[in-house]
Amino acid sequence: MLKKISTPKNLLLLGIILFTLVLPLVIGSNQYVLVLTTTVILFGVMATSWNLIGGLGGQLDLAAGAYLGLGAFTTGTLLTRWNITPWVGMPLSGLVAAGVAALIGAPLFRFRVRGVWYALSSSALVQVLYTAFMMWSSVGGPMDQYLPRYDASFYYLRYNTYAPYYYILLMLLYIALYLNYYIRGTRLGFQLMALGESEEAAEVLGVNARNSKLKALMIYAYLVGVTGGVYTCLFGYYHPRFFDSNMSTEVAILGIVGGLGIPYGPLLAAAVLVRGRELLRANLGTVVERSSMAVYAVILVVIALFRPSGLAVLAGDIYRAIRLRFAKDTYVKSADSAGD
Amino acid sequence: MLDNLIQNFINGVMLGAIYTLIALGLSIIFGVMNIVNFAHGDFVMVAMYATFWISTGLGWDPVATPLITIPLLFLIGVLAYYLLIHRTLRRNYVTQIAVTVGLMVFLRSITQVLFQARPRTITQSIIQGTLNLGPYTFTMTRLASAIVAVVFIVAIYLFLAKSWAGWAIRAASDDLDSASLLGINPTKTYALSFGLGSALTAVGGALLITFQQVDPTMGMRFGLLSWAILALAGLGSIPGLLISGTIVGVVESLTAAYWDPRARSLTVYLLFILILWIKPKGLFGRK
Repeated sequence: MLKKISTPKNLLLLGIILFTLVLPLVIGSNQYVLVLTTTVILFGVMATSWNLIGGLGGQLDLAAGAYLGLGAFTTGTLLTRWNITPWVGMPLSGLVAAGVAALIGAPLFRFRVRGVWYALSSSALVQVLYTAFMMWSSVGGPMDQYLPRYDASFYYLRYNTYAPYYYILLMLLYIALYLNYYIRGTRLGFQLMALGESEEAAEVLGVNARNSKLKALMIYAYLVGVTGGVYTCLFGYYHPRFFDSNMSTEVAILGIVGGLGIPYGPLLAAAVLVRGRELLRANLGTVVERSSMAVYAVILVVIALFRPSGLAVLAGDIYRAIRLRFAKDTYVKSADSAGD
Repeated sequence: MLDNLIQNFINGVMLGAIYTLIALGLSIIFGVMNIVNFAHGDFVMVAMYATFWISTGLGWDPVATPLITIPLLFLIGVLAYYLLIHRTLRRNYVTQIAVTVGLMVFLRSITQVLFQARPRTITQSIIQGTLNLGPYTFTMTRLASAIVAVVFIVAIYLFLAKSWAGWAIRAASDDLDSASLLGINPTKTYALSFGLGSALTAVGGALLITFQQVDPTMGMRFGLLSWAILALAGLGSIPGLLISGTIVGVVESLTAAYWDPRARSLTVYLLFILILWIKPKGLFGRK
C-alpha cells in the first residue's frame, strides 16, 4: 500500500504542494517576488479553469476578463455598498459570473455558434460589459471604486502583504487542477473531449452538446468569477477596465501554448510565460521602452508555430528523455508502459 | 427632428462605406482562405500610423499617402503570410488564432515603441470644410472618404469578377484542390489575397485618420467591427457586405446621437451577438 502511494510521481506532487505552501515564508520579505508569483498563480487559475471549456470542450472562449470583471464588481460592490465581507462576496461572485455565462452561453450553444464565431462573440462580450459598466454610474461608472483600507483585516480581506491572496489563489488553483483531472474521468469529461475532437461526430453518438458545453462554461466562469473577487481585494479597487480583452486573450493563449486539454499545461505556460513576460518587462523595458511585449509576442508565435502540441508535451518529452538517460532500462520500460 | 434623424443617417452611411472597405479586406482573407485573422484591426491601426507618419514626417498631404501606405501594407501582409500564416494553413483554427493574436500583440507593441501611447491626429488635408445641401451638412473629409471607399469597393468587385488573378482567388475560395489542378498556384494566390486584404486597410486607415485620431489600442475595435460586418453579411457577397457595413455605420451613428456616444460600439457588438444567434450564415451569405 505504502509502496503504491510513494511512487516518484506522487512524491513529486507532494513535494510541489509542500513547496508552494512554504514559498511565501521563504520569500515573504521580498514582496516583488511574491507579487510576481501571485500573478503567475492568478493567471494559472484562470487558464487552468479555461482548459475545461477551451481545452477539453474545444470552445475557444475569450471572455475570461468578462467573468473576472463581474466577480470583481460583485465582491467590490457588496463590500463598499453593504459592508458584506468578501468571504461571502467571493462565492457570490462565482455565482453571478456563472449565471451570466449561462445566460450568454445557452443561446449561443443552442444556435450552434462555435469555432471562430464563438471566440469572437465571447470577445465582444468583454467589450460589451466594459462599455456597459463604464456607463452604469450607480456601480461607479468610470470612477475607481476603492475598498476600505486596512493593514490586516480578515473581515475585509485587506492585508498589507500579498501572502493571504497568494494562499487563496493557490487554493483556487488546486481546485481548478483537481477539477481538470476529475472531470476527465467523468461522463461530462468524455462528452467534452468528444466535442473537442468533432462536434458532429459527438452529436451523432448522442452527446448533448449544448448541456455539456454549458456545464463546462459555467464551472469555468464560476472559478474565474471567484478569482475576480480575490482580484479586487488584492488590488484594493475595482474599475470597468477589469473587463480586459487583452487579459482574456492571454488566458486563452496560455491554455493553447500550454497544451490543450492537458490538466497542468496552462499552469506550466503561466509559470513560464507570465514569469518570462514580467522578467522581460523588468529588464528590456528599461532598454527600449515598451518593447517587452513585442518580444513576448514573438515567443508566443514561435511556440504556437513550432510546438503546436504545447509546452506540456514538450516538458513531458524532456522528462522522459532525462529518465531514459538516468534510469535503469527495466524500470523505465515498466513505468512508461504503466504511466503513459 | 426628422432633419436631425436624416442627418445622422447620412453620417452613418458615410462611415459605413469606410467600415465596409475595411471589412472587405477581412472578407477576402477569411472568405477566400478561411484564415482567421485576429490582427486585421491592428493592420488598420498600423495603416493609420503609417499615414500619420508619412503626412507629418514627409509633409505629404494625407490624400497622397496611400501611394506609399498601400504598397507598404501589401508588403506587410505578404510578409506576414509567408512568415506566419502559411505555416498554419493545414492546422486547426486555434493555432491560427494564437498566431494572429501574437501578431496583434507584436504590432501593438511595435507601434507603442515607435509612436508612444498617446493618441495622434494629422494636420489638415486639402480636403476640408463642409458642403451644405438644403438642411443637411456633409463634412468634406467624411464625404470624400466615403466616395473613395465606394470607388475602391467597386474596383475590388471588378477585380474579383473580371481579372485573371481575381478568378484565381475566387476559384481557390470555392475549391482549392480543383483550382490547383487547373494551374492556379495556391501559395501565390493565398499570399496575394492576404496582401490585398491588408492593403485595403491602408486605404481604410488613411480615410479614417482624416477625421479621427489614432492610438495603439484601437485595433481591437476595428477588428471586432469588421468581424461584425462580416457576420451580418455572410461570406461571398460584396454588395451584401456594403449593405451590412452601412447598417453598422448607421447603427453606430444613431446610437451616438440618440443614446450615448460611449454606447456606439455596445449596440454594434450586441447586434453582432444577436445576428450569430438568429442568422449564423448572415443576411446575404452565399456559403
